[in-house]
Amino acid sequence: MARIRLDGVTKHYGSVTALQQLNLDIRDREFMVFLGPSGCGKTTTLNIIAGLEEISEGNIWFDDRRVTFTPPHKREIAMVFQSYALYPQKSVFDNIAFGLRLRGEDSASVDAKVKSAAERLEISHLLDRKPHQLSGGQRQRVALGRALVRQPSVFLMDEPLSNLDAALRVSMRSLIKKLHLAMGTTFVYVTHDQAEALTLADRITVMRDGLIQQLDTPDAIYNRPANRFVASFLGNPQMNFIEGKIAETSAGPRFVRGDFQLAVDPEVAAGQGGRDVVLGLRAEDAILAGDGGLAGAVTLVSPLGSEQHVDMDIAGVELTVRASKDQSLAIGDRLSLAVEPARLHLFDATSEQRLAASS
Amino acid sequence: MRAATDDGRRAMIAKRWGRGLLISAFSALLVIYVAGPVAWLVSSSLQSEADITAVPPNWLPPKVTFGNFEAIFSNTTREVTYETRRQGDPATGRFLPSGAENLLPALWNSFTVGLWVAILNVVVSITAAYAIAVIHFKGRQAALYTILATRVIPDIALIVPLFLVMRNLDLVNTRFALVVTYLAVTVPFTIFILISYFEQIPRDLYRAARADGCSHVQALRHVYLPLSLPALVASVMFAFLTSWNEFIFALILTQNIASQTLPIVISGFVMDFTTSFSFVNAAGVIAIVPPVVLAMMFERYIVSGLTAGAVKG
Repeated sequence: MARIRLDGVTKHYGSVTALQQLNLDIRDREFMVFLGPSGCGKTTTLNIIAGLEEISEGNIWFDDRRVTFTPPHKREIAMVFQSYALYPQKSVFDNIAFGLRLRGEDSASVDAKVKSAAERLEISHLLDRKPHQLSGGQRQRVALGRALVRQPSVFLMDEPLSNLDAALRVSMRSLIKKLHLAMGTTFVYVTHDQAEALTLADRITVMRDGLIQQLDTPDAIYNRPANRFVASFLGNPQMNFIEGKIAETSAGPRFVRGDFQLAVDPEVAAGQGGRDVVLGLRAEDAILAGDGGLAGAVTLVSPLGSEQHVDMDIAGVELTVRASKDQSLAIGDRLSLAVEPARLHLFDATSEQRLAASS
Repeated sequence: MRAATDDGRRAMIAKRWGRGLLISAFSALLVIYVAGPVAWLVSSSLQSEADITAVPPNWLPPKVTFGNFEAIFSNTTREVTYETRRQGDPATGRFLPSGAENLLPALWNSFTVGLWVAILNVVVSITAAYAIAVIHFKGRQAALYTILATRVIPDIALIVPLFLVMRNLDLVNTRFALVVTYLAVTVPFTIFILISYFEQIPRDLYRAARADGCSHVQALRHVYLPLSLPALVASVMFAFLTSWNEFIFALILTQNIASQTLPIVISGFVMDFTTSFSFVNAAGVIAIVPPVVLAMMFERYIVSGLTAGAVKG
C-alpha cells in the first residue's frame, strides 16, 4: 500500500525530453492506468516509479518517503512486463520464489507462498516446468505470480496483456481486476489499449509527448475529453471531427460548416459566435432516422455482429456513425442524423482544447 | 515428355553430386591444412631422430618409439661426460638438449599462469562488461572506446616500456608479471565479447530482476551469468590459450627457470649446433595436450560461445 507522488519530474535523454515537469498523485490502493501512443512517455514514467530510470529533475515520493534516489530493489515494488521476462533457466517454481529467496525468507514460507500464489492463478500443475514449455497466457500468469507473491506496496505493469490473443486478453483483464480488488494494493498499469484502460482503471492518465493530457476517471475521460487528442484516442470507431464555426442564430448557437449545421449546447457555445471550432461527434451519439433534416447518403456499411458502423456523406462531410445490428442498411440509402446538442463536443480550432460550459 | 523429365532429374542428381564432391574436396583440403602440421608433429614425436630426418620423410613412424617422451619425463640435470657422450649425439635418439630438465617446470609455469589469467580475466571482464552493457552511466561509450583503444597499439611497441615498468617494480622473472601482462591483452577483448553478449539478453530480464529485489551484483549473478555461460566458457578458453601460446612478452619478461613458460623453453631446444627434432616434437606434443583436453571438455559451449554476439536476438 502506498501513495505515489511525482513532483515536477523531468527526464532528458541527451537532447530529447521524454517527460516534462510531470506532477502526478496516485492514491493509495488506486488502479491508475497510463494511456497513450508509443513514445508518449508512459513506460518511462513507470520505469521512473520503479527506480529503473534516474530522473533529471524533480522528486518521487512513496507515502512520506522520498525515493528519488532509492534503487529499485529497495522500493518494495513488483513489476509485470509485456515480454513476461521470466528467467529462462529457472523453473516456474523458482521464478516465483526468486524474489522471496532474495529477501532471505525460509524455505517453508517460500514454499507455502509460492503454492498459494500458484493456486490462485491456476498454475499449480506447471510449477516444475521451464518457461519455454509454457504458452503465452501461462507465462503471463507466472509473471503475475512472481509479482504478487512478494506482496509489494506498488504493483507496476507494463503492457502485460499486449502479447496475448484477444480472448485471453479479456480473461486476463478480469483476473488482474480481481487481483487488485483482493490485494488492496496500488496498481500502476501502462497500456496503449483504450479498452484495458477503461475497464481496469479507477483513474486514467492520458499522455502524449511526455505531457499529461488529462487525468480523470474513465467516465470523465470518455465523456468529457479535455482536448481533441484525448477525444481521438478513446472510442471505437474514433470520434468524428468536423472543422467549422459557431454561428449565433435566433434559435440559439449552431455549428456551421456549409450546409452541415447542428444545434450545439448553448451553455458551451453562447457568446462564441464566429469562433473557429472543431466539432466532435461520437459514432454512438448520432441517431439515424428516415430522410429529412440533416440528411445524407450511406457510403459504406461495416457489420460487426453486435452492431454496424455506417459511413455517411452529409453535406460534403464524411462521418462514421453506429447503427443497431437489426437496422437494414445499404450503400446509397438516404438517412438523416439526429444528435442531442449536449452530446456534442466542441474544441477550439487552434488550441484544440475543449470548450467548457461557461457557468 | 517423360524423356525430358528423366533428363531433368538426371541433371539435378548430377548437380547435387557435383556440389557434394566440391564441398568434400574443399573440406578435405581445409582439414589437411589445419590438422596436417599437428599430425606430423605427433607422428614425428614417435620416431627416432634417424627416421625423422630420412629422405623421403616417413609420414608414419616405421617403428613407433616412446623414447623421446621417456627422455623428457626421466631426465635430470646431467653433464655430458665421456661415458654419456652418446647423449650429445642427436642421431642416437636419446639426445637431451641442455635445459631439457626445464621442460616440466615450464609446463607447470605455463599452466599456473594460464589458469590465473583465465580466472582473473573473467572476473575483471564480467564486472566491467556488465557495467558498460547494462548500467547506462555517463561516459559509458568513452569507457568502451578507451578500453578498445589500448588494443590498437601493437604488442611489439609495448615490450620495452613494459619491461622497464616490470623491472622498476622488481617483477621481472616472476609469473605475476606474465599474468598482469596477459590480462592487459585479454581483458579488453573479453569485455568486448561479453558486452555484446550481455546486450543480447533482453533488457526486461534486467528490469524484472531489479524489480524482484536484485542489487546489481545479484542481477549479474542470478540473471546475466547463468545466461552467458557460452560466452564465459569462450572467454576462459580464449584467455587460457592466449596465455599458453604467448611468446614475445614471456621471452623478454622471464629469464629464469622459475618463471619461464613452455614456448620459451621449447624454443630454447633449437640450438645453434645441434637440434633434436624428435625431442622438440615430443615437447610440442606435450605442449598441445592441455589446451586440447580443455577444448574437448568445453567443446559444446565453445561452438555456441563463438557465434555469440553475431546475431541480435
